[in-house]
Amino acid sequence: MKGPAITRRNLLVGAASTTGGLAVAFSMTGCANTASKMDEAGKWSPNAWLDISPEGKVVFTLDRVEMGQGTYTGLTTLIAEELNQSPDTIEVKFAGAAQQYRNPDYGLQITGGSNSLSSAWKPIRVAAAAVREMLEKAAADTFGVDASSVVLFDGVLTNDAGQTLNISEVIAIAAKQSVPSEPALKAKQDFRFIGKHSSRLDAAAKVQGTANFGIDASVDDMVFAVVLRSPAISGRLKSFDASELNADKDFIGAYQIDTGVAVVATSYWKARKLSEKVSLDWDLPQELISTKAAFELYRDAASKDDGDVVREVGDAQEAIDNSSNDAIELEFEMPFLAHATMEPMNCLAHVQEDRADIWASTQGPDIAQVSVAKVTHLDLDEVHIHNQFIGGGFGRRLNQDFIGEAAEISMAAKRPVKLVWSREDDMKNDFYRPATFHRLQASVSDSGEVEAWKHHVVGPGVMDWYIWDAAPAMFPSSPKFMFPMLGKMGLATQGTPMTPADRSAYEGADDLEYEFKAQEISYSKADIGVPVGYWRAVGHSHNGFVTETFVDACAEKAGKDELAFRLDLLKNQPRLASVLKLAAEKGGWGAERPQGRYVGIAAHKSFGSYVAELVELSVESGQIRVHKVVCAVDCGQVVNPDIVKMQMESCIVFGITAALHGEIEFVDGGAAQSNFHDYQMLRMNECPEIDVHIVDSAESPTGVGEPGLPPIAAAMGSAIYKATGTRHTRLPFKIS
Amino acid sequence: MKFFLNGEEREVNVDADTPLLWFIRDTLEMTGTKFGCGMGLCGACTVHLNGQAVRSCITPVSAVEGQQITTIEGLSDGESLHPVQSAWVKHNVPQCGYCQPGQIMSASALLAGNSNPSDDDIDVAMAGNVCRCGTYPRIKAAIKTAATELAYEAKTGGVSNG
Repeated sequence: MKGPAITRRNLLVGAASTTGGLAVAFSMTGCANTASKMDEAGKWSPNAWLDISPEGKVVFTLDRVEMGQGTYTGLTTLIAEELNQSPDTIEVKFAGAAQQYRNPDYGLQITGGSNSLSSAWKPIRVAAAAVREMLEKAAADTFGVDASSVVLFDGVLTNDAGQTLNISEVIAIAAKQSVPSEPALKAKQDFRFIGKHSSRLDAAAKVQGTANFGIDASVDDMVFAVVLRSPAISGRLKSFDASELNADKDFIGAYQIDTGVAVVATSYWKARKLSEKVSLDWDLPQELISTKAAFELYRDAASKDDGDVVREVGDAQEAIDNSSNDAIELEFEMPFLAHATMEPMNCLAHVQEDRADIWASTQGPDIAQVSVAKVTHLDLDEVHIHNQFIGGGFGRRLNQDFIGEAAEISMAAKRPVKLVWSREDDMKNDFYRPATFHRLQASVSDSGEVEAWKHHVVGPGVMDWYIWDAAPAMFPSSPKFMFPMLGKMGLATQGTPMTPADRSAYEGADDLEYEFKAQEISYSKADIGVPVGYWRAVGHSHNGFVTETFVDACAEKAGKDELAFRLDLLKNQPRLASVLKLAAEKGGWGAERPQGRYVGIAAHKSFGSYVAELVELSVESGQIRVHKVVCAVDCGQVVNPDIVKMQMESCIVFGITAALHGEIEFVDGGAAQSNFHDYQMLRMNECPEIDVHIVDSAESPTGVGEPGLPPIAAAMGSAIYKATGTRHTRLPFKIS
Repeated sequence: MKFFLNGEEREVNVDADTPLLWFIRDTLEMTGTKFGCGMGLCGACTVHLNGQAVRSCITPVSAVEGQQITTIEGLSDGESLHPVQSAWVKHNVPQCGYCQPGQIMSASALLAGNSNPSDDDIDVAMAGNVCRCGTYPRIKAAIKTAATELAYEAKTGGVSNG
């Protein structure tokens, strides 16, 4: 099935600006649906998402990956609602790479940016509702009655007279109808599953060890590979010697690939052990990257000028200059962070003469096709992606480097190869959450009003790293020699009507809900050369901390309670104000606490959702202990209430992990951390009690996979300030 | 050499220093046990060695000669879920799910030796298992539910309706 032709008009459509960090260079809208068809065996495929077997079994092709965030259940619930049958009666399979499954917000088949539910909310329900109408009409024709008198309920079609038909009895008739383009969607008061269904469809497989992740894939005659990579970023292999391996019966081959040397053997463990005997000679860059050098670069950029102004309200500098009070100023440093998904990067690839098969856990199947096509003789449509359950994504699996590696190795070894990265490989070869520098200034009037707010963000842009494989995926009919050109074109046109600006560094800074009288948000791009990528909440992950910490500083200057101060600034922003009030009420803001317990509160809007978090913590002997977190979220219409809660819990733990432990430090060109002993995760004994409250809303659904993260570190910092008197402006928190 | 995996005798035909994890996953092709860190730091590879939770990524096959190993595939009797697994489903514990076989093996070993664990007991027994999705509060709740269920089963010999 071919997608729509690429026209100049498509090119000019900008990616949705609300999706900030993940907005990619170009966007296309209105991707074509497949037409209704029936195969010889009697299976009806009314559209790209649904198949109905001759027996009436509904199979849903899930085009957004399941990495814990709940699409497997949530999107299936949308189908179930409109087909009027329980979600657990629907079989779910993962989509391969195909244009009809592109994410409409990005023009790419990627899962990220917390928009799976919001972008599917209408089209997926329309797809299922159309099928319901076709089935009801087919039954009505069979009964010889009007379609309005037939109801589909739990797989049975019933007319006013009480006569019934099963789906299986009418699909042949339904398949001959034209697909209604605007079927009636159920009204909220008629929902049976949306907002009510609370179990997870993937739970049973995941507790029995039968859910297949990328790392679990296997095919006959598969062999195993490990890769030896440069100890320093951008080092290149000069030569290698693997001759010592030849005598081993389990050794298959050692091959030079783009990133280093692949050692292939009959098992993972043998490949790993044999790789220790390979001698390598690297050509390392003259200047070795370090975190220290990165922050020197950022500070230089910040001193040079104010950067590009990305949002301006009034004249902030003039307001600061004319204020009767001295401006307050804080500088923030945010570290590089690894994703550390529990499932390390891996891929099973089988490259053959006329096709490649890829079994992997990926957030971007169409970009995976590009990564394979680039290193093989194959075209994009010859690369077949078999996606699996994903053992953690958080943005890491939007980059397809590990898939390209596996394809390169399979081509060299001429057989199916499963590449498995060690934890060390994973931590040292990530596309890291960018380190950033921030300078904030504000003036506060005698009456406690914020007269001016200035925020200068300095750091790299993620799109500069992401575009190279993403742009070709958007234009799959382009010849391969055009691939680098497409990336260049995307970068060159950033911020023009043709390509949206890359907001990844300043999203969550340039769209604050607070009504400051004057504000100036500016950005200076500075990139030391550490590969960077999307990470849970991306720019919001640092800007949520930075801005909310500075709001606290302003509240202190104004001599006001932090909650009251915020609510004053949110008089016209009821949704953020209401989650703040709810978290404060449920968390007992202002209530007496046990000795040594301190409370902080913070709120942030991201990915369309509003989240406030109240933290209760203590600081003893230099150790921060978070005892309790109360969270309030407004994410519009809720589809699965418990999954919303789970995602808030998940974001909170992820955010506390980063705030207490998270830092990848670059020394001598490479990451100093290598495994969970020096890049620590929050564990059971450190995990607080978490209490989540959801605001009832009829607004369209918005994201939940990321919005719970941005406020947490700021709420912690606020409580730590009360406990210690130090306002921390660096993460992770270090109590001296 | 031989050992018993989920009650079945298995012949080991790999190098003696091969970690049990890779023998189970690559040779026996049982993939429920997961690779996470290779250093015994994350617990994704947890299995039972004679009923005790151990990290199979740092346990050489030579160390389990003649011993009883249980993996997630062998935890239940095959007919119905183990009470720990049922509690996991009831509390919607899994998100990405990758670490959960290891979490469940640690939790079931804990409950086999301590039928009524306190919060501190749970913290100690489960601190070796990392969950990047942050399911810890639900794991704790599910362990308590499973403890109640196991106590009920021990008392009555039947399964409760809870």
